[in-house]
Amino acid sequence: GNDNYAITENPTISLEEARDLWRQSEIASQDLAAGLSEQLRLILEPTLATKLRGDYKTGKRLNMKRIIPYIASQFRKDKIWLRRTKPSKRQYQIMIAVDDSKSMAESQVVKLAFDSITLVSKALTQLEAGALSIVKFGETAQVLHPFERPFSQDSGPKVFQWFDFQQTRTDIRNLVAKSLDIFAHARASGDSELWQLQIIISDGVCEDHATIQRLVRQAREEKIMLVFVVMDGINSNESIMDMSQVSYDPDSNGNMTLKVNKYLDTFPFEFYVVVHNIKELPEMLSLILRQYFTELAST
Amino acid sequence: MSGGAKQVKISFFTREEDEALHVSGNPLYVPVSLKRFGLSEIVNHLIDKDSERPTPFEFLINGTLLKTSLEDYLVENGLSNEAFLNLEYARAILPPSFLGSF
Ligand SMILES: [Mg+2]
Repeated sequence: GNDNYAITENPTISLEEARDLWRQSEIASQDLAAGLSEQLRLILEPTLATKLRGDYKTGKRLNMKRIIPYIASQFRKDKIWLRRTKPSKRQYQIMIAVDDSKSMAESQVVKLAFDSITLVSKALTQLEAGALSIVKFGETAQVLHPFERPFSQDSGPKVFQWFDFQQTRTDIRNLVAKSLDIFAHARASGDSELWQLQIIISDGVCEDHATIQRLVRQAREEKIMLVFVVMDGINSNESIMDMSQVSYDPDSNGNMTLKVNKYLDTFPFEFYVVVHNIKELPEMLSLILRQYFTELAST
Repeated sequence: MSGGAKQVKISFFTREEDEALHVSGNPLYVPVSLKRFGLSEIVNHLIDKDSERPTPFEFLINGTLLKTSLEDYLVENGLSNEAFLNLEYARAILPPSFLGSF
């Protein structure tokens, strides 16, 4: 198992307080969860072609394997027909990874992050698409709710208990590496119908884009979908969309020269959206997932 | 690329009256190893990236002259690089020989 990623310290807020926060987030996302759930159902629904399946008393085509037993049974075992059945339900393992670092508090996106956890987890539970896991990250990544546990009434508040947005690092490289490991363990051997999806909720400020990009590529090879939801600050002059990145690249003579580029130009996640308000989340999340599946289908 | 170097989010502002010295207050993600010289290079780049004659600037955080790297400043003030630093810049009034030391 992955017990080494499980939480070991004590929660930062009481269950009472966490329940209160959860309720507030439920109110903020009340009318949005059902809509998001419906959007996700349309996107995540199986697109596999329907299959012919046995055994029926009437149907479209004979099931040849049933003919000899049919005759041998004096025509009593008469479920000899195949029918076109609904596609089997695609199974998902969906991990919500939430940034617990201090920059989240600095850029005042804590409330937006809490509302997003509530909205996405409620929509996914309504969808009954499969197993849901919640992870927090900062210096390290820790599992707050494992795939094996059903997401019940009290699961949300219990997850909220562990956040304080005081971690002094945002190690997204470590998050992705650990997530790949968790997903690898969670995947039942050779289950090709299982889809694995990670939704990262963060302010998007992280170092070492090149290394993260390699891990994102690895995730793709392992058929793990990664989508990044950037929580953008309310202060318009602090938006990540206007942020620049300073780097020093060697020129043709090997001298280090200063470069100022748009931060998002080197953002290591291919599938990301920027969200300023909880009301934008359903549409943005649907958009990026649809884009993902479209691209998946075209390759 | 800057590789795995630690970075911090900053933004610049100035009280200089000369509009030509003003840059946008949009956030920048910069290496924490930067000192006055590197910061001055960035401000000059933002003012005019092809300028042949850069203006030397000095930097203040909360009114205090920055004499160390950003990283040392963070450590001395009990901050981490999760912080968002507002850096004031002003034309350097100190002699160049002294400026060279930080
Ligand atoms: Mg952070």
